[in-house]
Amino acid sequence: MSAPGWLASWPPRLRVGLAALLLLALAAVAGPWLAADPTAVLDPAAARLLPPGASRVVVTRSDGSSVVASAAARSGDGWRITRLGTTEELPAASVAQVGRRFFPLGTDIVGRDVLARLLSGARVSLGVGTLALVVALAVGVSAGVAAGWAGGVVDGVLMRIVDAFLAVPMLFLLLFLAAVFRPSLAWLVAILGFSSWMGVARLVRGQVLSLKSREYVLAARAMGAGPLRIAAAHLIPNALTPLAQDAALRLGDLILIEASLSFLGLGVQPPAASWGNMVAEGQEVLADAWWLTFLPAVLVALTVIGAALAADGLQQLARADERTR
Amino acid sequence: MVAWTLRRLAIGVLLVWLVASATFVMVGLAPGDAATRLSDPRIPAAARERWRREFGLDRPLPVRYAAWLGAAASGDLGISWTFHRKVTAVLGEVLPNTLLLTSLGLALELGGGVVLALVQLRRPHGKADRLITLFSLTAYALPTFGVALGLVSLFAYRLGIFPPSHVHSLAGESATGWPRVADLLQHLVLPVTAIGVTGVGGVARYLRGSLLDERTEHYVLAARARGCSERRALLAHALPNSLLPLITMTGMSLPFLVSGSLVVEVVFSWPGMGQVMYNAALGRDVPLLLGGTIVATVAVVVGNLLADVAYAAVDPRVRA
Amino acid sequence: MVNARWRGRALLALLLPLGLAACGAKPPDEPRAARAEGPRQGGQVVAALYQDITTLNEYQSVNETNEIAIIDLLFPSLMVEQPDYQLHPPSFAPRLASSWEFSADNRTLTFHLRPDAHWSDGTPITAEDVRFTFTIQKNPNLGAFGLEIKDYITDVEVVDPHTARFHFSRVYPYQMMDANDGHIIPAHAWGKIPLDAWRSTDFESVLVTGGPFRVASHVRQQTLALERDPLYWGSPRPYLDRLVFRILPDTASQLAQLVAGQVHLVQSIPPQEAERIRKSPDVEVVEFPSRQWGFIAWNNRRPMFADRRVRRALSLAINRKSIVDTVYRGFARLANGPVLSTMWAYNPNLPQLPFDPKAAAELLAQAGYRDTDGDGVLDRHGKPFAFDLLYPSTNSMRQEMALLIQADLARVGIRVHPRPVEFTSMIARQEAGDYEASITAWDEATKIDLTAEWSTPSSTQGTNNIVGYSNPEVDRLIAAAREESDYTHARVFLDQAQQLIVEDQPVTFLFESTQLVGVNRHIRGADINSAGVLFNVEEWYWAP
Repeated sequence: MSAPGWLASWPPRLRVGLAALLLLALAAVAGPWLAADPTAVLDPAAARLLPPGASRVVVTRSDGSSVVASAAARSGDGWRITRLGTTEELPAASVAQVGRRFFPLGTDIVGRDVLARLLSGARVSLGVGTLALVVALAVGVSAGVAAGWAGGVVDGVLMRIVDAFLAVPMLFLLLFLAAVFRPSLAWLVAILGFSSWMGVARLVRGQVLSLKSREYVLAARAMGAGPLRIAAAHLIPNALTPLAQDAALRLGDLILIEASLSFLGLGVQPPAASWGNMVAEGQEVLADAWWLTFLPAVLVALTVIGAALAADGLQQLARADERTR
Repeated sequence: MVAWTLRRLAIGVLLVWLVASATFVMVGLAPGDAATRLSDPRIPAAARERWRREFGLDRPLPVRYAAWLGAAASGDLGISWTFHRKVTAVLGEVLPNTLLLTSLGLALELGGGVVLALVQLRRPHGKADRLITLFSLTAYALPTFGVALGLVSLFAYRLGIFPPSHVHSLAGESATGWPRVADLLQHLVLPVTAIGVTGVGGVARYLRGSLLDERTEHYVLAARARGCSERRALLAHALPNSLLPLITMTGMSLPFLVSGSLVVEVVFSWPGMGQVMYNAALGRDVPLLLGGTIVATVAVVVGNLLADVAYAAVDPRVRA
Repeated sequence: MVNARWRGRALLALLLPLGLAACGAKPPDEPRAARAEGPRQGGQVVAALYQDITTLNEYQSVNETNEIAIIDLLFPSLMVEQPDYQLHPPSFAPRLASSWEFSADNRTLTFHLRPDAHWSDGTPITAEDVRFTFTIQKNPNLGAFGLEIKDYITDVEVVDPHTARFHFSRVYPYQMMDANDGHIIPAHAWGKIPLDAWRSTDFESVLVTGGPFRVASHVRQQTLALERDPLYWGSPRPYLDRLVFRILPDTASQLAQLVAGQVHLVQSIPPQEAERIRKSPDVEVVEFPSRQWGFIAWNNRRPMFADRRVRRALSLAINRKSIVDTVYRGFARLANGPVLSTMWAYNPNLPQLPFDPKAAAELLAQAGYRDTDGDGVLDRHGKPFAFDLLYPSTNSMRQEMALLIQADLARVGIRVHPRPVEFTSMIARQEAGDYEASITAWDEATKIDLTAEWSTPSSTQGTNNIVGYSNPEVDRLIAAAREESDYTHARVFLDQAQQLIVEDQPVTFLFESTQLVGVNRHIRGADINSAGVLFNVEEWYWAP
């Protein structure tokens, strides 16, 4: 099997970076299924700002509501619970279920499970970042290949469009659009993607221009291969490594932008969790519960580190490739 | 060369107009307008209608656009609806504050990045190199707001070494001369660090990689063969070449100078462009919003132009 | 702009140590000074502000409450409204006017101004200033906020330099309040400015003030520093040398600096922070019932909320008391009707709607809602009972409320989608009637007039009746109340109107807030109440 050898030839940075990203992606995809419900508001008064590792008794009442107590004991037919420093008696008829719950990373200001929110926030933050990257790549690669291959007027027009987009003060634009229009997640992905495609286009165009005159391309053209086939079979694969490197860095940037927008209250809107808006919510209680701010920020950083390491690794790979060519 | 610069300038003006017009249309499409902000139920709806008439909001979009364009072309950016002063005056107050922050931050990034990269390359893959690589990576990955919040809570609130907000302390505002400058410097430390720390990592990483690449280039090997030490070869030959893309990066960073410090401004109550623009967007203060967009776009265009000119000036290959 | 003379004085004031002995400027009619401690002159108080003031001319634009509070320190009003509206419409204390009287038929109100009142540049404040102010307030082209308030005042006559006479077109309970609305501005300084330049003039460059404080310096977006006006004609003259407002847009920064002692006054502490702030040694948290109240607006024009039974069911299904207690941590009261419980016109016998999900389910069934497809959600004519609940996105307490409301209504089979919306957009949608439900809060005035909020909306004029509520009987009662000149008679109609509104439940009444103010413990003499946090700031002083 060639896989291990091929994998082993990758620089350690690439392996570590990709591993980190894959781990986070796995947590994002599978985590929410395994973890508790991130939207469950159990009992804001009694369950708010619990420290990591706390455990409490959750009493689900027959009408569907729940109370969170620090201790519960059977009292005759019903239950006696200790909650907020006082004891309460709950008749058996009103109690549907009593169980102990463990909060590995504590709870937030409304009493929701932080671990569950981080995992569901991972879905959102990573998802938005990745999908925006996909949009940027799709638009950028198409534009770059078209410009580089066709040349002439098409190239001129496309590059002017790139210049126009680059002239826009992106941060202000994002700020304005997000603040005023409060875009849904889909629109947010589109806006972020369209704010980021220009670099991809330029890169791809440069690659296409330099590859256009390589022997194998000339040969393919001589044999009558159409431009699309050449693009698919020769241009894109050879431009892959620098493109992947750019994509990795771009992913990190997009995730940082989404986090910053959400932090300012402009990106993903609560109650949906995103790492950025979790930091913003945690900021209000920074003195009491610093982990609410710290944990999501660290996760953002880890993702960007993973992406940067992968990009570094890809660059090393490209350098190694060049040297052996 | 001159013709090329003039042509770029003309395109630049076109771009500014394009972006400003697009912003105008977007603001016009936004739900609610400046009069909607008056949400106090005691304000009779008739008052809101008067407001709309006052600001011309009852006229159709094309008419408003024509009026604004005409004025803007002659340099009159109008009166801010929230500040009751000329837009140029309002921007003129806050732009220097932002520029101060971001230019110092940028200087910290570039200077710090160069220093770190050079230290790393004294002994590649040595202990210092690994440590700095780790630091650069982490700094690069941290979100700016995280760094800003961390700095404020640690150095300002917990340790009390630096002030937590504002450009001057109360005493500093009425001081003059050296004490005033000292007060300003004290207030600059944390925000500039917040901006610079994240960028230092990126610059250091980039430079290190680039210099390492250059190390094996023919002209460096030739220099070494001539007897230069590795360090001298790098400093005298490789560094200038690596700085070329850095110049481009700096030029591309000019828009950042105008708009990049929003998060830091919010956390530190720094009266800059970011805050003003944010509030203008929320308050639908159209003249101010448009004026700020124009300033920011001009910065982008000028930045690109300067970067290209500098690149052409430094790299003879491009000049032809 | 900042006078060098002022700047020097400000610097001097800063250098004076706290607790400087009082230097004889104590007016004789000050009984408090005779008490044991005796207030000390000197020192400054630093207050936090969310955003900078935009202008010091209150007739240039519509102002925030904080701006008006600051303008109140710089410009005189005829009288000072007292916070005693619990039993009767508020009474007044003299300020610029030392006395006043109505004519026999109550159609004119004559104010006698203090002869010693003068502006900061020495010019006397005369009835001419009062008349000038009135023309500005009444000018339809300027469109200042207070325009409609002066609707029934036809003219202000200058009888002599110290006597101003207000002429009314009708007699009604709020004549004094309406005459007093708005501060007096200097005719000699601002009368010269042409009215069409009013909106674009920076009035701070031509500032002339006439209050206990004057502007020492204004570094925009950063600090507004006021200092005691040594020539102030009123009493008491402020003990404090300076009152400084620091702009801090971020609540967390405001609270952190309050605790650290860099800021001495925070005007609004979020309820969830109250306990923590109370614990800090130097800070005292003062609470008083504010005039802000919140409700869930059901768009009465939408079919799903048009039926009174449905709206009553919604109010019964929501555990309002629990929501208010949880979200406000005890710092709010349950709202029961359109009039605040702290005001004189409040009807104490209003029928209360308890938390009764069973009764709610019955009402919903009567209105035709059943769960026909067994998915846990009620439906009617094939449409599920689901709607969007809007709330301002920057407000985390509203978010908590929205979530709790969602949970409560889910239990009776109603699906709620909480939707955070940018504030301005939300107001725009409410105005246009383009929403289903929203969580809204209003700041009530001290004048009781239910017209704007609860009368059938007119198709020609705009309205603040955002839910589109319409009950002809309520319209009649509100109109009748307005016609009564004696408030005890008006009260009869108002009581009935409140009764009908509460029965109709056009909105679900939620909460009446308590305002939490953080003050440095060493400040004495502060009477912080619902008339304003800075109500008697002239009497504040630092403990020795």
